[in-house]
Amino acid sequence: MDKIICLGKNYSDHIAEMKEDAPELPVLFLKPPSVVKEIKNQGKIALPWHRGVIHHECEVVFKLYKKNIIGLGLGLDLTLRETQKELKQKGHPWEISKVFKNSAIVTPIQGVRDFLNWQETVFTLKVNGVIKQHSKLSNAIMKPNDMILYIDKFFPICDGDLIFTGTPSGAGALNPGDMIELNYGPIEYTFQLVKENEF
Amino acid sequence: MNSKQQISHDILNGLERLRIMHDLIKDQNYEHIPKEELLVDLKENLELIKNNFEKLTQY
Repeated sequence: MDKIICLGKNYSDHIAEMKEDAPELPVLFLKPPSVVKEIKNQGKIALPWHRGVIHHECEVVFKLYKKNIIGLGLGLDLTLRETQKELKQKGHPWEISKVFKNSAIVTPIQGVRDFLNWQETVFTLKVNGVIKQHSKLSNAIMKPNDMILYIDKFFPICDGDLIFTGTPSGAGALNPGDMIELNYGPIEYTFQLVKENEF
Repeated sequence: MNSKQQISHDILNGLERLRIMHDLIKDQNYEHIPKEELLVDLKENLELIKNNFEKLTQY
């Protein structure tokens, strides 16, 4: 994998909850492969809470080959929210708030064929058994093929790249010990969050 | 990135590509990439990986 390409502000309900203006087009940013953490069912993932509040953003993930969507996953784009606010206020880039170890959690990728209708399939994030985020890709502002065309205007797309397609409303804080459940069609994973250096 | 790192990077990208091709062929997922095209890609990619490994042994 060369990179993770993330779309921000691609769901109008999330833009509203962030109290921000909708951009003409979604925002693009990158995460490096070194921050990807593939989920193991019933596993544990360590996060750096000593750096501040960590927010979850649950997103459908595409895997690309020759600029085609050949696989799907469900991911958590994690954000150090307070740091991000400070950076935005200063007009600085966001990387420090978005790029840290395990900040791109993703389920193993499933073939597109494993879904009946992946754009209409509801994806859900539960934290400690409570639904925090749920939506479907058809609610996104930009449609899947348009996302690839849009990204292609700015970045070289490489085989194996992942796209995090944006998050719906419900983004919120995570805490050490939280049990996370991710569901999207045939994808069902449960894991626990722990403090960095705890295991 | 120096040329040794670049070759190493190219090998790892080639292996990633092989993994994707394996999954596509295993799942017979030919909607977007026809089987014939995948097999041509496979041949080219294997050749490229082999050449890059040979180059890496020169260092």
